[in-house]
Amino acid sequence: MINQIIEILGQLGISDYSITEKTTQSMECFFIRRNLDLKRSTNLLVYMVTVFHPFETKEKDSHETKKLLGSSFVQLYPGMEAAEIKKALLSAYNAASFVANPWYEMVSGTKQECVLSSSDLAKKDLKDTMKEMADALFASDIHSDVFINSAEVFAARTMRHIVNSRGVDVCYETVEVNGEYVVQCISPQDVETYHHFSYRDLDTDALRRDVEEALDMTSARAKATDAPKAGTYRVILSGEQMYTFLQYYMDRSDSSLIYQKYSGYQTGMQVQGDRIQGDLLTMVLKARDPYSGEGIPMKDRVLLENGTLRTIHGGSRFAYYLGIEPTGGYDCISVPVGNLELSEMKKSPYLHIVSFSDFQMNSFSGHFGGEIRLAYLWDGTALTPVTGGSINGSIMKVQENMICSKERYKSGKYEGPFAVSLEGIQVAGV
Amino acid sequence: MKVKESAFIKHNKPVLKKLLERLLKQYPYVSILATDSTAKSYSVSRCNTMISENGMLSERGFAVKISDGKHYAEYSFNRIAEELLDEICENIRQIAASSKQAVPEGISENEYPIPEETQTIFSASTEYEIDPEELGDDVIIEKLARIKDRGLASSDKILDCTVRCNYQKYSKLFLSGHKDLEQNVMWMTGGISLAAPRGEEIKSYYKSYSNLGGAEVLEQMQHDVEQCSQITLELLNSEPMIPGEYDCICAPDVTGMIVHEAFGHGVEMDMFVKKRALAEKYVGGYVASELVTMHDGASAASQTATYFFDDEGTMAHDTIVIEKGILKQGISDLQSAIVLGTVPTGNGRRQGYDRKAYTRMTNTYFEGGTHTKEEMIASVSYGFLLENASSGMEDPKNWGIQCMVNIAREIRDGKLTGKIFSPIVLTGYVPDLLKSISMMSEEVILGGGGFCGKGYKEWVKVSDGGPYIKAKIRLG
Repeated sequence: MINQIIEILGQLGISDYSITEKTTQSMECFFIRRNLDLKRSTNLLVYMVTVFHPFETKEKDSHETKKLLGSSFVQLYPGMEAAEIKKALLSAYNAASFVANPWYEMVSGTKQECVLSSSDLAKKDLKDTMKEMADALFASDIHSDVFINSAEVFAARTMRHIVNSRGVDVCYETVEVNGEYVVQCISPQDVETYHHFSYRDLDTDALRRDVEEALDMTSARAKATDAPKAGTYRVILSGEQMYTFLQYYMDRSDSSLIYQKYSGYQTGMQVQGDRIQGDLLTMVLKARDPYSGEGIPMKDRVLLENGTLRTIHGGSRFAYYLGIEPTGGYDCISVPVGNLELSEMKKSPYLHIVSFSDFQMNSFSGHFGGEIRLAYLWDGTALTPVTGGSINGSIMKVQENMICSKERYKSGKYEGPFAVSLEGIQVAGV
Repeated sequence: MKVKESAFIKHNKPVLKKLLERLLKQYPYVSILATDSTAKSYSVSRCNTMISENGMLSERGFAVKISDGKHYAEYSFNRIAEELLDEICENIRQIAASSKQAVPEGISENEYPIPEETQTIFSASTEYEIDPEELGDDVIIEKLARIKDRGLASSDKILDCTVRCNYQKYSKLFLSGHKDLEQNVMWMTGGISLAAPRGEEIKSYYKSYSNLGGAEVLEQMQHDVEQCSQITLELLNSEPMIPGEYDCICAPDVTGMIVHEAFGHGVEMDMFVKKRALAEKYVGGYVASELVTMHDGASAASQTATYFFDDEGTMAHDTIVIEKGILKQGISDLQSAIVLGTVPTGNGRRQGYDRKAYTRMTNTYFEGGTHTKEEMIASVSYGFLLENASSGMEDPKNWGIQCMVNIAREIRDGKLTGKIFSPIVLTGYVPDLLKSISMMSEEVILGGGGFCGKGYKEWVKVSDGGPYIKAKIRLG
């Protein structure tokens, strides 16, 4: 159908466009306890088309004209008649004529070999993948008081083919398995914790380990009854929260935020402040896919080097406005581990929050916080599991003194220190 | 005017009926959901304009659900033609027969009876005043741009003013052995957000608008941008909250978030099936102040989550969840109702045709009380007026609350002092909070600007709200 769309675009005189053909097959299983509750499969095909409309406008109080480039996105589906495709594309082209954004250079490229997934997941049938991952998921679920309450597993094979009017013609396959599970512990009190996973390899050992840790963590959660006392604490964040916390730096270095002045980041800038006494951060943006949604070849890039911004990242439009290289969008980071072992980090009083209801980072304001589901409070004499209350902090106030752990943590979008220590965090408790 | 039916669904209904007939020869229960949805988003800000179809909400495809009398399976696809029926039936046969191949030893399969159905033929459409498609992209973007320009001109401290709107026009067809249901629905939402810098920190404020209808929502958006700007500038002087438990007056949007996050998720009855909801044990008992009556339902209000039937072919309900403080019942999808032996309440919703149906909220709210907002503020010796809810997270198992709120206005001796605190994390134990409600305003406001996730996925359009409420709440 790509050829049909290009032909119709030609008939309509639309010379600038980008088309992504996305084909997905998936197998999905939903479990309640150790029982399969529902099985699903999907077989989907969609065409995502962006049309570009170059036009000019006269500057106010001037005879100068300004070049503009509007764009608009539309989805097309298999089985659409030519007349319907034509109507949808024309409507999008008309819409793009009201999108008065400054002109920019579209991504250009050439036809490339299709990049097929080389992971061991790609070699397997989706049903076989499901069986092996479900086996790993339930392997440690052998206890009567702490167990997997319910789980959802999704195995999907996706092929994306991106072509545009500037020669881009690339294609790549992703095969992934992801899902979520809830662990319940019924003694001494009935509690639950939520967990999710995402793999592009058949990493059954990693899933097995994650489940074992989740079972242990939920048992600990069942022993926690009281909220910490309200006050100011040295807080340790760890595991999944690390990605959310450090996402602030990814967001602030995004070209769209910088161009629109929501972020003052510039390359070469020390982003952690002037009086850094803690760890200087180094972060690498990791390319998970071979191409961005626009067809930009993706590669790993150093975002921060010892706290100094090295890369402003983003797509073609804002990169052009800023006069920098378009990098495509990233959602994965890698961070070198710190020098302090967790046991050393825990020598003075701390509140180590291992689970939140929903830990959030507001990258505009720098505020982070959430309700505490499980934390360990060490007051210098006793270690107490606590639950309830919340934290409310600002990364701008803690980034000069934060310390990363020597221990490593890896998840779907993050690899780096397992934990970070933050001074002077306000805790709402009893 | 009424939303028109989908030409795509009308054209394909005969072949879908053929598919249904073929499958009914193999399986005792078969249902087919067909959806055709167009959704468009518009946005203007200081240096950005956008008009695009909304990729998450626009879709066209089918979900087939079958039962062999014991086990259920589903197949989602988006290619349909008479010549493809063999292939579609074979794919359905494969997923129905896949349990042994896809599931390891030691994992058994739940068995459920098939749903009892009564013969129902139904067709209906919601109404609108102004069709955004007919109004035109140029007129919509011009209206938004005028608001944006006023926002930017309101103060040189304003960094940006983003004005946006979205609409979704969808048609659904539900076919089963005994049902032939069609509906056509349109909603439209809008939003104004302003941002102002305080050093490296960006303070922002957001106001949303929504209706079941069309571009008439744009008219509502014309009047508030200067007030939004004023509040954004107030935030530049905000202070961090001093943690503690306070007397609070919650604005209707914060009430809505408490209703939705704190209690609504906890009465989704697929959570009862999984033994994940504490609420199951409290049906018939007091869970809130006697002032509290709570509704949920696609027919409970005229808002963005209004529809005529859900994605499993159950007609819309107005469910009274809490009546005068007593938990009466939960809300339910069809399969959970089968397991629990209850009546489904029309809450079986899918993010899209390619996703599973879960029990989901619709329009969820508290009924109003007898006081005025002013009386309620006057009753507080020291506390806060909470406004501008931003997000929340459910905890049905342990009835914890997490709501993020942008603004807490200080109240001292019954008067607003003008001092504001931001941002706020609102936490606590649900029954403690709901039982502490001591006053409710007569005025009830629902907002449908947001989406609701089940955990961290499965986004569906919802509305929530209620009156101003007075309660004791822990803030941090």
